Amino acid sequence: MLRESQSAVVVRNEVWRGRLAIEPYEAGWAQEAIIFVTALKAAVGAAGTAHVEISPDGMRWAREGTSFALPTAMDGVTFARVGHFGNWLRLAIEMPEGSELTALATIHTKA
Amino acid sequence: MQTPENPGQAEALRRAILLADPKLSRFDPLPRIICFDDFDQGFCGWTQLMGNYENDLDCVLPSYAQHTQPMLSALSTWDFGGHGAFDGTYALKIATKPKVGSRNVGIKRLTFRKRGPIRVEFYFTFKPEANELRLSETDVRSIGFGYDLQVGDGDGDAWRIMPHLRFLNAENGEHVQKWQYKPKTTEFKSLGTENKTVTHDHLAPEGWVDLPGGHQRLCYNEIPTKVNWHYVCFDFDLATMKATGFRCNDRVFDVSTFESIRIPAMRNLWCMLNLFFFAETDTEKRAFFYIDSVCLSGEF
Repeated sequence: MLRESQSAVVVRNEVWRGRLAIEPYEAGWAQEAIIFVTALKAAVGAAGTAHVEISPDGMRWAREGTSFALPTAMDGVTFARVGHFGNWLRLAIEMPEGSELTALATIHTKA
Repeated sequence: MQTPENPGQAEALRRAILLADPKLSRFDPLPRIICFDDFDQGFCGWTQLMGNYENDLDCVLPSYAQHTQPMLSALSTWDFGGHGAFDGTYALKIATKPKVGSRNVGIKRLTFRKRGPIRVEFYFTFKPEANELRLSETDVRSIGFGYDLQVGDGDGDAWRIMPHLRFLNAENGEHVQKWQYKPKTTEFKSLGTENKTVTHDHLAPEGWVDLPGGHQRLCYNEIPTKVNWHYVCFDFDLATMKATGFRCNDRVFDVSTFESIRIPAMRNLWCMLNLFFFAETDTEKRAFFYIDSVCLSGEF
């Protein structure tokens, strides 16, 4: 049996400002994930930061410990590798005051 | 396809094999199984419904831009752990955003080989996100399904046909619980500058019509995390492009007045057979529509 894998577009063409979190993604079947953020346009201002979060129920969230800088150049890509995350994944986003990013966020999971 | 010497015997044998198969025994497929998607086996070709665009993602209609990817869910609950699916562990999960009227759609894209009867059967359930200690039975606005069909390029008629059915669970806090169909879409809008792409919102909230006798009180278990699975069977004839039967659990509904969205054929969608599921929320709470398994079959 081939290993199940999936590329999920969870954020498409949304403008990130301030503090926010992307929608919860449920993937208890997967052992590993890579979360990419792509800049669909050049960012305004300084780079933001993404924090990987995990959850026991998809409603209450804790920082997983992995953080990464968001891209600033158009078509720039940054990412985090995550393993042993349980059932739920999301990104919490922090954009500096006055900054914004038009984002594409994709979660690539594999059993 | 060869004609069996004894069609009655062949049909009895086919039925016996189906009934003895624990996976298929709970379905009543037509002779040819087009696809049997058990989500314990993966995503099975189900993806998100992406809105049309040309050169610029900003031109995607907002009602489509909100769509996200379906998930494989074990229906895990905060209060008693993993619920699991009808059988096995996973179901396809279509989740809305937590915004009144938000919608999400999962779709599978095929084409057909013959314009004849087709049947879709599936086992499903739905719940809102369980972020309150109350039943929340009026938080999910609706769950539904439909086809996006177009005749073959050599056919005499030239129509794109979109049969839609939804279970309107609640509206503005009222527990409505009735099946509806949709005979009209929105006006078409041209996208971009190349005259190749148009868009319309066939799932817009306007224009739903009550199915006669379509009230149904589905089992909705007594706390916000318990679910029970339901069965749907919808028959459609690609030759006449008309609905021929619809049942949910023990109820058989009259589809004699059922109408599909009917629009002139488009230049690039010949023989299209798309099947989709959708959910809408009525509150600032995510609506979750779970499909355990789907069997699409045809007579050919």
